[in-house]
Amino acid sequence: MIDAQKTIVVTGIGVISPYGAGLSRLQAGMLAGQCCLSPATELYPGFQGTVAQVGALPPLQDGRHYSRSDRLAMMAAGEAVADLAGSCNDFRESGIVMASTVAGLTEIDPEITRGAADWYRRGGLSRAATFPVSRVAASVGESLGIQGPSCAVSVACASGSTALVLAANMLLDEAAPMVLAGGSDALCPFTLSGFNSLQALDAEACRPFDQNRKGLNLGEGAAVLVLETLAHARLRGADILAVLRGWAMTNDASHPTAPQKDGIGLGTCIQRALSMAECSIEEIGYVNAHGTGTPLNDIAETHAYERAFQGRSRSIPVSSTKSYFGHCLGAAGAIEAAITIMAMRAGVLLPTLRLTDPIESPQIDWLRGEARRQPLPVAMSVSAGFGGSNVALVFEEYRA
Amino acid sequence: MKTTLPVLTGIGSVTPYGPLAGLIPTESLQPSAITAWTTAELRRAFLVEPFRPASIVPGLKTRRLDRLSAWAVVAASLALRDAGIDLEHVDRSRVAVFCATGFGCVELTEAFYHSAATYGWAGTDPITFPETLSNAPASHVALFHDLRGPNVTVSSKSFAAESALLQAASLMRHGQADLAIVLAGDTLTQAIYEWYESAKMLSPACFSSDPVSSASGFIPSEGVVAMVLEPSGRPAAHSYAALGVGRWAAGGDACAGARQLLGGDRPDFIFCAGNGAPCTPSSLTCSPSDFVGEGATIIPAQPVALGMEESGALLHLLLALSQRPDPGQALLLGTSAHGGYAALRLEIF
Repeated sequence: MIDAQKTIVVTGIGVISPYGAGLSRLQAGMLAGQCCLSPATELYPGFQGTVAQVGALPPLQDGRHYSRSDRLAMMAAGEAVADLAGSCNDFRESGIVMASTVAGLTEIDPEITRGAADWYRRGGLSRAATFPVSRVAASVGESLGIQGPSCAVSVACASGSTALVLAANMLLDEAAPMVLAGGSDALCPFTLSGFNSLQALDAEACRPFDQNRKGLNLGEGAAVLVLETLAHARLRGADILAVLRGWAMTNDASHPTAPQKDGIGLGTCIQRALSMAECSIEEIGYVNAHGTGTPLNDIAETHAYERAFQGRSRSIPVSSTKSYFGHCLGAAGAIEAAITIMAMRAGVLLPTLRLTDPIESPQIDWLRGEARRQPLPVAMSVSAGFGGSNVALVFEEYRA
Repeated sequence: MKTTLPVLTGIGSVTPYGPLAGLIPTESLQPSAITAWTTAELRRAFLVEPFRPASIVPGLKTRRLDRLSAWAVVAASLALRDAGIDLEHVDRSRVAVFCATGFGCVELTEAFYHSAATYGWAGTDPITFPETLSNAPASHVALFHDLRGPNVTVSSKSFAAESALLQAASLMRHGQADLAIVLAGDTLTQAIYEWYESAKMLSPACFSSDPVSSASGFIPSEGVVAMVLEPSGRPAAHSYAALGVGRWAAGGDACAGARQLLGGDRPDFIFCAGNGAPCTPSSLTCSPSDFVGEGATIIPAQPVALGMEESGALLHLLLALSQRPDPGQALLLGTSAHGGYAALRLEIF
């Protein structure tokens, strides 16, 4: 007997991705095996690499200055709630939890360091106002007229999935009738330069979990999921897309940037999410991996899956959908949660693109080649990030 | 003491009062002249005097860290010390670190921009980049103390600290952590200060040696406050307060929200936590008087905490607790010139 007040469901999804605006475009592109990664040289002088970009965004009329991360978030949120009109009297009291790592960094010019006051006088004042990460969440709230609890999350590349966890907890606390949760990050020279300086980028299209992987590609985008309790969703007759059955967060506490080699922290995270979901290791039909394509991440993640799914009767199907449109940083966890739900609803296991020589692991069924059609009642999405944070989310298809 | 609420058992802080464990002096501070960068005329702020973190926390190496990260580790360590917690006897995989910040590691972010301005984007510093991330302070706390539970960094327009406190308590309530270290803070840099000044948000007291008055605007401040939350039951060295229910909202009527939260109860104390400029006049003192009982004490927001725009609430709470209020019911009430509110019930021991 499920407790409808304590069961968290997903009732709306909005995605802005390099495939364009809308979950349907993302789904069509991914099911067709379309890769959005392409060479780019114009992002800053000297940059030569591979990225995935969202096209030009439509102009805004309200006269305020928004960062590109704000804009992506506002668009994704708009799509996520597009079907809510009229069905939700308490929408205004909704909560917002938006993740971002870039936020308004897109708007800051390095010239600010040669004289901030001058830069502000030359038009930088409103641009700098977009710098705080909280601005992403505030922009979403203001664009939709929402006045409930608003929070931004910055946990590096695990931010997007952390936002979903915090949103779920807020619902358990009855802090809001529903919560719009997700992440948004735009491509910008700051992050491209940073990852490039760390030699973490693959100049060509990334190859997650391949033995010849060389690094990651950056992408951009946003995803917003509408979360509410099953009781609230039923009350308003919402279309329930999935159940968020369990979640967990852990930290490696081992290195500022590198993951724990043996995957203990991430493995523990997965086990705790399964425990919360009261879900056996046999039940998980697919893992949407963090899978950045960096040598260190992918081997650590492999060890985490071997550890967490040890004793499973069949190998665990795993893929990295970052191979389609790169790593969207603070948005990644939310976009991948949306993809995991989309995969469950479509009954399809998405392969990792360009995975020709996978890391050897008999316990893992590396999905590659053609998409695999099969029922997918329960799936997991996994994220990790600089600073050692790990997040695991367990989704289940909703059966009325 | 019979309560199932999370209990605040340890406090550590790095603030303009210095690095301290536990409660802090109650005398009001005056802002000091800025000397960290060149100013044409007098500019004042509430600043943390430089100190050597390793002198407070032996073994702590901070040379490559943003000041916010260094202060976070120091404040968290002092809070654990104040709580009398021996981490050797704690399941560290169930200790959460929850950090609130408005601007994050802005000092090293500026340094990274400076390297881009000097050498081009192709010549930036790989060591600096990871330390610019907003979650670096929380992750360094975890790294230093081997804390392997949830590690979250949040920001919330005007109410980052209140939201961190509430969400950390939520993690404990839902069994996702056994113990939590909540941190809130920001550092002040030239670019941030000049942004405030360009946006005309500053108090006249920033530009003169006059004592702080109630004129409009605020005086920028910096620092980090850390608080340890534990479940009730462990015989703790200190039990400052138990955290009750709370909420925060981006909009709406602070008074109505607080009244709904209180459900007819009349708190003995209101701890005012103003967030954002201008600090006065606002609802900081007029709102609480609408619903407190006769004889209740309103502890107004202090300028030193008002200057930490999004992350000042823990310092507001620390300053209020440092006045050693008698046992009773309290309400931490955060209001903001930007709208919205935060309200958190506390039981003072």
